[in-house]
Amino acid sequence: MTTLSLDGLGKRFGSFTALADVTADIPSGAFVCLLGPSGCGKTTLLRLIAGLEPPSDGRLLVGGTDQTHTPTHRRDFGMVFQSLALFPHLSVAENIAYPLTIRNVPRARRRQRTEELLELVRLPGMGARRIHQLSGGQRQRVAIARGLAIDPSVFLLDEPLSALDANLREHMQVELRELQQRLGVTTILVTHDQKEALTMADIVIVIKDGRVQQIGPPMEVYRNPANAFVAGFIGTSNLLACRLSAQGQHVTVAEREIALTPGDVVQAQPGGAAVLSIRPEDVELSPSVGDSDLPATVTFIRDLGESVQVSLDCGDHTLVATMPPRARPDAQVGAQVGLQFASGRRVVLAP
Amino acid sequence: MSSNSLHATPGWLALLPAAVLAVLFLVPFGIMVGVSFAHRAPGGFFEPGFDLTSYARVFTPFVGRVIVTSVTLSAAAATICVALAFPFVVFLTQLGRAAQTVILVFLLAVLSLSEVIIGFSISTLLSQTAGIGNLLVWLGVIDAPQAYTPSLFALLVGLCYLGFPYTVLVLYPPVARIDPELPEAARVMGASPVRIFFTVLLPMLRKPLIGALILVFVFTLGAFLLPQVLGRPVHWTLSVHITDQAIFQSNMPFAAAMAVILLLVSLAMIGVTLLLGGRERGAR
Amino acid sequence: MIISRNRGIKRRRFLSGTAATGLGVLAAPAILRAGTQELTVATYGGFFQDSFDEHIFPDFVEQTGIDVNSVSAPTGEAWLTQLRQAARAGEAPADVSMMAQAPRLRGEQEELWAQLDRSAVPNADNLPDHFVHGYDEDRFYGAGAVSWYITLVTNTEVYPDAPTSWNALWDPENEDRLGLLALASNSFLLEITAKTHFGGDDDILESEEGILEVMETLAELRDNVRLWYRDEGQFQQALESGEIPMGQYYHDVTGLAAADGQPVRSTFPDEGAVLDSGSWVVTRASERLDEAQVFIDYMSQPEIQAKLARYVGTAPTVDRELTDLTNDEFAAVASDDEPILPRYELYVERDDWVSQQWSERVTGG
Repeated sequence: MTTLSLDGLGKRFGSFTALADVTADIPSGAFVCLLGPSGCGKTTLLRLIAGLEPPSDGRLLVGGTDQTHTPTHRRDFGMVFQSLALFPHLSVAENIAYPLTIRNVPRARRRQRTEELLELVRLPGMGARRIHQLSGGQRQRVAIARGLAIDPSVFLLDEPLSALDANLREHMQVELRELQQRLGVTTILVTHDQKEALTMADIVIVIKDGRVQQIGPPMEVYRNPANAFVAGFIGTSNLLACRLSAQGQHVTVAEREIALTPGDVVQAQPGGAAVLSIRPEDVELSPSVGDSDLPATVTFIRDLGESVQVSLDCGDHTLVATMPPRARPDAQVGAQVGLQFASGRRVVLAP
Repeated sequence: MSSNSLHATPGWLALLPAAVLAVLFLVPFGIMVGVSFAHRAPGGFFEPGFDLTSYARVFTPFVGRVIVTSVTLSAAAATICVALAFPFVVFLTQLGRAAQTVILVFLLAVLSLSEVIIGFSISTLLSQTAGIGNLLVWLGVIDAPQAYTPSLFALLVGLCYLGFPYTVLVLYPPVARIDPELPEAARVMGASPVRIFFTVLLPMLRKPLIGALILVFVFTLGAFLLPQVLGRPVHWTLSVHITDQAIFQSNMPFAAAMAVILLLVSLAMIGVTLLLGGRERGAR
Repeated sequence: MIISRNRGIKRRRFLSGTAATGLGVLAAPAILRAGTQELTVATYGGFFQDSFDEHIFPDFVEQTGIDVNSVSAPTGEAWLTQLRQAARAGEAPADVSMMAQAPRLRGEQEELWAQLDRSAVPNADNLPDHFVHGYDEDRFYGAGAVSWYITLVTNTEVYPDAPTSWNALWDPENEDRLGLLALASNSFLLEITAKTHFGGDDDILESEEGILEVMETLAELRDNVRLWYRDEGQFQQALESGEIPMGQYYHDVTGLAAADGQPVRSTFPDEGAVLDSGSWVVTRASERLDEAQVFIDYMSQPEIQAKLARYVGTAPTVDRELTDLTNDEFAAVASDDEPILPRYELYVERDDWVSQQWSERVTGG
């Protein structure tokens, strides 16, 4: 089975390093999200994989074969661009059949395959339409169908959903993920939206400033972020400055000692400054301040329907806690509360 | 919003340029048509009237042959210009901003050269005594320098030199506006650069290309100096003969009749071009 | 050097193609009507007008007390049209005009030129008959102003020996080597051909059959012609470089180029060189006939003709013996041999027919 291997890929534009030393093995059939803030190099990485830019360093292997210098048009990849890049001078069917036409697939086979793909992306009977007659979501599907037309060994998507409104985007995320699972095609998607990555990915590659921060399954990255950046970028996280004891047994936050328990993750040097990362859903509130509690003041309460979000101020830090509505604390803004962090859910990171 | 902006610009404002155009274009044109029917008085002048003598002179095998020559030359020049300029513009838009600016400014500078300067420069360049023949001899390609002018080749070089900057300037904006992801998408889908050119760029730019063809065609149809300087008498176009009649023979009615016919022929050619260009994609 | 320094001298009925178009439209002369004693004189523009302004007019003003308002006229035909239309309105854009011979004849047909008093122009006696113009014996209206020769010119490096006859134009040895004027009415090649190939006289040009016969002979040299030129600069440059080593051109300009060190020469062929000219005429709308007569009389003096030969490069319209020109000075602009005189009436009476036959049979073919 095809495995895509990135081996020390790097890209420099003049003296600017857009991407450095990206190494990753992507198993066949995986859905990979390249995640990071804009300008982090994730699109550059996708273009290196597609062959649209030559890498400055490193190699690219597809199924064990070095394809670093294979011209783009001989790679048999499929790709959906940010602008979708549908050809305005061709009909929907002609757009989808374009890669087949280029490969001189016989007309009958081409037509049959186009019908299949239109069916697949739920646009049956739309083949004769012009591109400008389609809605945004329909164009999305045409672009996806076109990218899949040749059964590509690797399917690349460059923020294809970013132009859609929120509802349609979430819908398309699910649809795309289902489609990918059904076809089992190795897929790499660029996105800056961590929710999109969490929704679809088997593997997330978090990139910042041209460097890979963490590679792993989304929930593992969520639960176990490699550093403060990842913790902050994937989901929301309360990051509290702390000190890790010499034995690594407990951390000190706002002059309160919190004993670490099995399941807590420690990725900082013992006996030094560190950052304690706590997810909002792992912050527990109690109406009275116990000895081991962190005292805090409620500054705001947002009722979001499916959840409740409480903003807290504990001196040097501000925190956010979320909980289901049935666990809504009986406290008003300005009330003093005690905070506990769920054991086994605490992550101590290097500062 | 569009109705707002329509109201913001009063309609009568458009009448002003329309009126100026009518005065500056239609009136002289009307006079020309009138003169073409005028009676040619002996002694180099004409009297108003309805006289078909000048048109009778236009509809002779000789003038017919000249018209065919003119149309063929201009069509050839237009085709060559567009065939050269299109890949050039595609290449140009892939260069950096600074390089693009330098090249476009250079082309604009070329526009300021008159037909006279271009004609003399090319006739010198292709001459036996000072031309590229000497370079070829020095390189050992040929034994003795020879003249490449006047000839059909020299004339086409001249006409294309004249038309090329216009072609580039007409094609540059639409080519530059093309989303760079379109050719990239074609690349990923397996198209070689040549196939991208023919399956994406060419069909997408069909209208600007036809526009450029028509522009160079009409533009070179009016060239009257280059055919004299770079061509042999068989290459003298209708414009040369119109100039001869108007300037040297003072036969305004005949010159005007030929000019009217030239206009009709070019309109017909433009119509045919648009028709052929539009038919391919009737759906749009 | 593309634009010849002598470009202005090359005036006649045509300038360069583009220049002529512009001039025809734009040359509306400024008319000054300040004093009664002022005469507006139109000459060919450029070098010509400059030379007259510098060398001729100041002395005239001093000697006669008549002020001269010097204006430049466009090509002959366009100027004729302007004069004609102005005359209908009773206006005179210029009193005295230097006209090429074909438009002069056209103006004569329409009686556009004012009749002058022959006795008030005694110096016209110096001129040969063909330079004294009248509607008939008694109705004098103008006189020759300047003349110049069109000769057989060659590049001396390509032709070490000068050709002696216009026959050289037909020599198969000279294939693709000639530069000739493009039009019947400015090349006078019909006259040259008639003189060279039809028994030394040009009576054959009396009839249309004869003209066609001459054209047929002329068409035989077509393979020798590299360039049918309308723009003199183009031919002069090609002649000097040897690119087009033979052709017809102006004697005076060729002489100046040779004196400048260019390898060119002008030859008066055995059959004679073409003597082309311009004449002074007065529009009938002019109210200054007396001053005009003084002016034409002044210009017809042998001394003034000699001065023109020295400073403007034209051939004297008067007999050489009357002037004080040295042999060298005379040879620089003219020749004692009998000239070929253009049959201007051909281009007036059969203008359209000749030009059509010319483009179909001679240049077009």
